[in-house]
Amino acid sequence: MEPQLSWYLALSAILFTIGVTGVIIKRNVIAMFMCIELMLNAVNLTFVAFASFFQDVTGQLFVFIVMTVAAAEAAVGLGIIIAIFRNRESLDVDEASILKL
Amino acid sequence: MLALLFILFAGLAIGCALAVVAQRNPLYSAISLIGVFISLACLYIMLAAPFIAAVQVIVYAGAIMVLVVFVIMLLNVEQQERGRTRLKFLVPTAVVLAAVLIAEVAFILVTVQEFRVNPTASPSDIGITNSIGSGLFTRYLLPFEITSILLLMAIVGAMTLARRGGLLSPDARLIPGAQTLPLHLVDPSAAPDDLRPVEMESSEEAARLLGVDPRLTRKE
Repeated sequence: MEPQLSWYLALSAILFTIGVTGVIIKRNVIAMFMCIELMLNAVNLTFVAFASFFQDVTGQLFVFIVMTVAAAEAAVGLGIIIAIFRNRESLDVDEASILKL
Repeated sequence: MLALLFILFAGLAIGCALAVVAQRNPLYSAISLIGVFISLACLYIMLAAPFIAAVQVIVYAGAIMVLVVFVIMLLNVEQQERGRTRLKFLVPTAVVLAAVLIAEVAFILVTVQEFRVNPTASPSDIGITNSIGSGLFTRYLLPFEITSILLLMAIVGAMTLARRGGLLSPDARLIPGAQTLPLHLVDPSAAPDDLRPVEMESSEEAARLLGVDPRLTRKE
């Protein structure tokens, strides 16, 4: 039996939901950041699955765009994390409750 | 056979994703996340997208995770402490919201009717470097160029955020007596990364150069 498109979509939905749950319940800002990466990867899996089952390369091109956005997000996000840690000596998001760095 | 491989890699991905959320140490979360990326790369190969799989391993599991692990090591984060000053109903709320999200997606997957598509290209054409490159540089050139601007902005933003100069916290204190400052703070004409040490005679002079109120000097 071949894997169906709906299998991949279901897997992607499960991974995305785990990422959402992680963002809600985690307190460490780096762990939240990694859960966001997990959500981006779940969406990438959807893109590649549709590209493969529709025989259209467009979905795979958008995976590149998503990966680039993820790389940019990693650079800026980790810069913000370092700035927060330098000012507060903590990575707890509950303590970083004002926007001032 | 393919179904067995799918179940293997999907189970690996879900298990590693659960470990990312469940682990208290961010370093273990990062290593579990690398497991998710690797199993997703295997799924991409099963979906006839070998180039995406290679980029997934190189960029995600390589570059981005190295950056994350580097920051974790640099900040020397201690483990997440259990339930202090945290909203009590947060975990139940997260579970309920996750159940709602899963239910929505399952509803869509079950109810949307099957559709047929006519493949526009032969299966071997999709996912190889040639077709991806030609698509990226012809029809989708504008998103590609916008991406380059985005990366430039990310580089500038990261450098600005992580820069140290002039970002003294308001409760900074100076120890009375001789101070050693980097040259670029003393001499405005020096290069901003010139860190050669310069000895200050008094804490007042150092306070003036740093822009700190000299009355804030701490009595040792």
